[in-house]
Amino acid sequence: MENAIEVKGLAKYYSNFKAIEDVQFEVKKGEIFGFLGPSGSGKTTTIKILTGQLNATEGEAFVFGESVSVLKNPTARKRFGVLTDNSGLYGRLSIIENLQLYCKLYDLPNSKVDEALDFVNLKEAGKKKISTLSKGMTQRVNLARAILHEPELLFLDEPTSALDPVNTLHIYNGLRALNNRGTTIFLTTHDMQEADVLCNRVAFLHKGKIQLLDKPGELKKQFADGTVTVELSNNEKIVLRKDSEGAEEMFQLMKENRVQTVHSNEPTLGDIFVKVTGGELV
Amino acid sequence: MTFSWKRVNAIFQKDFKDFSRNLAVSIVVFLPLILAAVYGRMGLDTIQAHFMNINMTFAMVGTYVQCCLIAEEKEKNTLRGLMLSPASTLEILGGKSLLSFVLTIVIAFFCAYLSEYRPANIAIIATAIVISSVFFIGLGTLLGLIAKSVMESSVIVLPVIAVFTMGSFVTVWIEKYPVLQIVEYLPNIQLIDLATKVESGAGFGDVISNLAIILIWTVVVYILTVVVYKKRMVD
Ligand SMILES: Nc1ncnc2c1ncn2[C@@H]1O[C@H](COP(=O)(O)OP(=O)(O)O)[C@@H](O)[C@H]1O
Ligand SMILES: [Mg+2]
Repeated sequence: MENAIEVKGLAKYYSNFKAIEDVQFEVKKGEIFGFLGPSGSGKTTTIKILTGQLNATEGEAFVFGESVSVLKNPTARKRFGVLTDNSGLYGRLSIIENLQLYCKLYDLPNSKVDEALDFVNLKEAGKKKISTLSKGMTQRVNLARAILHEPELLFLDEPTSALDPVNTLHIYNGLRALNNRGTTIFLTTHDMQEADVLCNRVAFLHKGKIQLLDKPGELKKQFADGTVTVELSNNEKIVLRKDSEGAEEMFQLMKENRVQTVHSNEPTLGDIFVKVTGGELV
Repeated sequence: MTFSWKRVNAIFQKDFKDFSRNLAVSIVVFLPLILAAVYGRMGLDTIQAHFMNINMTFAMVGTYVQCCLIAEEKEKNTLRGLMLSPASTLEILGGKSLLSFVLTIVIAFFCAYLSEYRPANIAIIATAIVISSVFFIGLGTLLGLIAKSVMESSVIVLPVIAVFTMGSFVTVWIEKYPVLQIVEYLPNIQLIDLATKVESGAGFGDVISNLAIILIWTVVVYILTVVVYKKRMVD
């Protein structure tokens, strides 16, 4: 199957500071791919290169099998949707007026505006001026604009960073529905929880390099420490290895009816990230 | 290269709404009209006086307003949004210039009306004014793209406006300082020269060199604009 994105040996230097280095990955069509990393790790730099806003210093990037320079062709841009932290809206115009402009630019009927507002849970606010919106609302309008034309490939740079939990969940559902209808999603985030619930595969970016790349479930298996935590009836917690010795002990405890609950010690993506990078997550 | 009037028009309509709600900039379009009305009352009826108003219109409405509109799109990152949309360079620059163009032509017309300028050959003057408007708007676009912010744009636009609105009185200095001969080739001076010739009965054939010089300025400014624009697409 053709890849939606292919990146080979990508590097970007700002004068002589290496923002990203030897970045290599591919995103399959139909995937939700998570690009994870703390702030300053090079997520935005990567997304800007992939959307033709920035030239790479080294390496190659392809979208749908063509070099990203294809994005210089206006018709090719119809296949993409982009939300970055530098997406802008017209402050003196209303939400609807902003989206209507993009409907016309994309040759879409105005009815798409309602659908997009529904997607970001802003149906009631359509007449509000952009300059009066909160940060979270502005972010949602930017997202509405990015998905207005149901692109084949959607780039989202920290799409929920300013959102409350309710709207975040609403948008997760929307993104999943969009993905089910065929949109491939490339998503950057520093929120490991978000990556875990949304992404089919994730790449961990740290100091400009990819440290790990796999399915969240596989990573958890790989980094599982082979133990379970047993909570005893006296509320004491003990950690048992998942081997025959541990089984022996567990058997004994259960027989004596001392086990209250058993917790899996599956690591979260956050735990794995900290382990891999040896650092704190920002 | 794709070109769709629908997209150009969409950007124009957006600009119109935005501009009408942006008093700080839209108020500027009334300055040339006030000046023209005053001149009309004073009975100043020379080509110099009429073109003082018209050049003022070019500078304020063509260059200054356009420069602010473009610089704001850049500062607010909305230009990036347009660049990532299916709109082509031509559609974006065309759409972004249309409002300033319409305003410049309308204000220039009313200036001429108020200062009671009645050209001897309306077709030549209209042609020259249209080409000049396109030049001054291109200049505004270029400066707006170069500036880092709206603040910076309104600073760098001033000296440029000063040069490109000089009246032909500077030609007096040319005899003293031959270096200044280059000034004669400025589009604004060419326009006044053309208008003076028209009043003494010149036809299209007699002013072709004036029109050609203004046209060359226009072409150069748009080439530079497209180059800077393309650079701004990746930065
Ligand atoms: N225009 C720039 N000039 C110099 N350094 C930059 C520029 N843009 C980003 N950087 C640096 O590159 C690194 C990666 O930035 P970025 O891609 O924005 O990270 P992220 O999106 O993961 O937070 C950071 O250290 C940042 O300071
Ligand atoms: Mg970022």
